[in-house]
Amino acid sequence: MEKTGKKTTKKSVPLFDKIKTAYIDHVLTHGKEPASVFLFAKNNKMKEDDFYEHFSSFESLNKGIWKSFFDEVITRLQAETIYSDYSAREKLLAFYFTWIEVLKSNRSYVRWSIEQSKRPETNPKNLSSFKKAFLQYVEDLLNEGKETEEVLNRPVISDRYKDGIWIQTLFILNFWLRDESSSFEKTDAIIEKLVNLAFELMGKSPLDSMVDLAKFLYQNR
Amino acid sequence: MKEQNSIPVTKVQRAGKFISTGAKIGGNYIKHYSKKLFDPSMTRATLDEDNAGDIYDSLSTLKGSALKVAQMLSMDKNVLPAAYQKKFTMAQYSAPPLSYPLVVKSFKKFFGKAPEEIFDTFTRNAVNAASMGQVHQATKGDKTFAVKIQYPGIAESVSSDLRMVRPMATRLLRINPRDLEQYIGEVESKLLEETDYALELERSIAISKACGHIQHLVFPNYYPEYSGDKILTMDWIKGQHLKEFLLTNPTQEVRNRIGQVLWDFYDYQVHTLKLVHADPHPGNFIVTPSQELGIIDFGCVKEIPEDFYQAYFKLLNADILKTPDHLEALFYELDFVSDKDNASEKKLFMEVFTRMIQLLGRPFNVDQFDFGDDTYFKTIFQTGEQVSAMKEFRNSRTARGPRHALYINRTYFGLYNILNELKAVVQTRR
Repeated sequence: MEKTGKKTTKKSVPLFDKIKTAYIDHVLTHGKEPASVFLFAKNNKMKEDDFYEHFSSFESLNKGIWKSFFDEVITRLQAETIYSDYSAREKLLAFYFTWIEVLKSNRSYVRWSIEQSKRPETNPKNLSSFKKAFLQYVEDLLNEGKETEEVLNRPVISDRYKDGIWIQTLFILNFWLRDESSSFEKTDAIIEKLVNLAFELMGKSPLDSMVDLAKFLYQNR
Repeated sequence: MKEQNSIPVTKVQRAGKFISTGAKIGGNYIKHYSKKLFDPSMTRATLDEDNAGDIYDSLSTLKGSALKVAQMLSMDKNVLPAAYQKKFTMAQYSAPPLSYPLVVKSFKKFFGKAPEEIFDTFTRNAVNAASMGQVHQATKGDKTFAVKIQYPGIAESVSSDLRMVRPMATRLLRINPRDLEQYIGEVESKLLEETDYALELERSIAISKACGHIQHLVFPNYYPEYSGDKILTMDWIKGQHLKEFLLTNPTQEVRNRIGQVLWDFYDYQVHTLKLVHADPHPGNFIVTPSQELGIIDFGCVKEIPEDFYQAYFKLLNADILKTPDHLEALFYELDFVSDKDNASEKKLFMEVFTRMIQLLGRPFNVDQFDFGDDTYFKTIFQTGEQVSAMKEFRNSRTARGPRHALYINRTYFGLYNILNELKAVVQTRR
């Protein structure tokens, strides 16, 4: 399934971008997908083969576009010298802020794309490649957090941390789509609050001491 | 905002701001008297601790502007128990700091560059809380800067937060909602101004320039090139905050000097500029190593309308008390009494206000005043207490006093309080 936009060799990058731009332009102008790949290729003066070289269908193209947002975020983050000094919490914050910035330049497409899903809150379409890459990123982040003890290893639960973060990510996305504050300040605020909460839950918290105490009492009745 | 045709004011009732003035000034005594004080007001307002506790809890989760309003309201001792006032004040400092990535984001938005690209060094963590934001320290070349960054979404939340405060305020203040509206309206407009860093920059520069001639007063330089809607950059003033300074046991001479500078600064603003730094909170003043007074944070500035100024400051002149006719006209003008009052009410309110004015205006009517004189503050406090316990005051549902007085009174309460803490002897007329 990872055969989508991933294998962009140096030579074909412009073509990928061209397809992406033309496709986004089409869906936003017409409010729907082109009738067929053939028609899409013809209208944009390219060969149908060129399209299939990158994507097997419009669906895989959509996924590729979302994945390209992720790649863009990572590129921007790595360009920031300070990023590597950040704690895991700050890295995740920086990721979300940058991600929202990237999405902002494509807000109409993002909205359209999310609206195509039956259940945009829990299971938006087109996000699978993005999700896969993002979760890999989060996992690295959490491992890093475990080393610095920002994130605590807990039996069973620690394996589910990244699922929680994914739910949080979808929540941010949906919140941002509904956000009407100027320059989406409220989204900035919600990101801060969510990430702080998430790291407080994943880090050492009173809950651990409570569980510890309960365990002790149980064993020493 | 709606037109303001009557008074704001506060509290548990009536004597409006004047009484609360007494209360605030007596701040140092609140601890001693709070019990006694709250007993009557609690039974009356059925304001029990649980109730206040609930309100506090819901407000403190808001952090931003609702908290500020709560603080404003609670300046009036009768509104909330002293214990809660304290909590409110502390809660302000416990607002969670902005994360560094968000600071970077704000910088990129306004300047297109990260803080490190603009300055040589920039602290990753906030060094101080500021009005609705936080302060970072930065350096470039041989200069050190204080960079203030606003919390995101604060400006937008001011009005909605205030909507949440209204029902609670109506209940606590027992004032009719229309009167309250004017009070809240004034607070709301000031809070909105506080979120406008561009305005603050402009005012800071203007006031610093206008007051530059006052001796022993230090203002930071402001840097428009490093400032924006949500970011404000100024020189870092080295020194101690007033509270820390007092801990060093300064000599009486130094205390007097600092107190005098403070008095002169306010005197000049009120009477000459008609534009006043309306937040005399000890955290906004810094004593430099050479024992001069540094002024930071012009977030809250009150412009004093000329007609209000004329009427209001006439009141503080001792001579007015000798001419009852003038005094009565003035009371009407300032809405302390109105045609809605009957003869006995009018007589009572006039008497009470006259007494309060005599007391509060005392520093203005002598050449030199010792703010370290605790008996003075105690008298004010006791008078305020007596007045607020009078049932005529408690049962009148009208607010009394002009809306502009709100911030002017707040300014003077703050000033008196600081001077009292300094135990300074000040030349008040010169």
